[in-house]
Amino acid sequence: MAETVEAVAETAEAQAETAPSAARVGIGGPVGSGKTALIEGLLPLFAARGASLAIVTNDLVTQEDAERLQRSGLIPPERVVGVEAGACPHTVIREDPTLNIEAADLLEAQLRPLDLILIESGGDNLASTFSLDLVDYWLFVIDVSGGGDIPRKRGPGIVRADLLIINKSDLAPHVGVDLALMRREAEEVRAGRPVLVTNCRTGEGLDRVAAHLAHDVLMEV
Amino acid sequence: MLRLTRIVGNATDATVAERLHALEHDGLVETITLDAADTARKRLRVATDKGTDCAIALARSERLANGAVLLLEEGRAVVVRMRETMWLALGPRDMAAALELGYFCGNLHWRVRFEGTLLKVALDGPRESYLARLAQHLEDGRARLVDEVESG
Repeated sequence: MAETVEAVAETAEAQAETAPSAARVGIGGPVGSGKTALIEGLLPLFAARGASLAIVTNDLVTQEDAERLQRSGLIPPERVVGVEAGACPHTVIREDPTLNIEAADLLEAQLRPLDLILIESGGDNLASTFSLDLVDYWLFVIDVSGGGDIPRKRGPGIVRADLLIINKSDLAPHVGVDLALMRREAEEVRAGRPVLVTNCRTGEGLDRVAAHLAHDVLMEV
Repeated sequence: MLRLTRIVGNATDATVAERLHALEHDGLVETITLDAADTARKRLRVATDKGTDCAIALARSERLANGAVLLLEEGRAVVVRMRETMWLALGPRDMAAALELGYFCGNLHWRVRFEGTLLKVALDGPRESYLARLAQHLEDGRARLVDEVESG
């Protein structure tokens, strides 16, 4: 009987090693642009799609974002792990993403089967990008209050992200930003890569973000 | 949507090559062309050269490579072709210029290779963008553009 159990366990392990892994999606962007709010908005949408999720957050020297999500009631706390980067945020998502890979591997091993692991970078500058050894797809979140000229300034985060999100659309008239122009200039510098506009506080535009992720990496979950 | 969840072999494997050869005769081999950087992804949505919508979802232990065969069955095969990476070859004027150029490229997080006295920069975006950043180095002669070569 013991042998049978072991055999079953071995078979399950072997299947896990060859079965498709959970999609890993990075979320980067400047401090305060709405990365954590975006995750909070996406969680119910993916729950409605029946997707099994986990989250890795990155903060400089705290677990602030991890604790915020763990307290949110939107996801079981054990599905959120915080990584303290201890250095420039882009170091641990690009140059040496070992800490984040280990955190994602741990979540995947503990919570298998998972459909999606969201990896939120610490707030960074426009040069921030993700290593594709860490993620399969990555988003870059900017917001209108950072200035309507941000897309014109390009920067690898703006230009290379698989999906660019312009958040806090409701603030545009209050900060003197022409949102339509900002979006058009973002599309121009991204050579056909998608740009979406959101208001994470009200949920506006988040269904389109979820649909993009479902199509591109979750394959229509 | 064609869901592809494992690498069944490589086009260079003798037995796989033989089967691909037979299918090619009937025009039944479809190709997915990827940039070298994109081969690190385990999930991606791409179209083959014949327009088939493909959803690739692999185990993290697998890695796409040039010649990876994602489907090999009676009447159809799907093979990955990796686009060659373009490299910008730069020759620094002297030791001081070499140090400065190396620091500059590192500061911009560019992927580089060293070949003798040349520093090669991988073009992960438009060539013009790289030349624009290097303009000062090229204009005052601290570095010269040697050539642009294709390499895996």
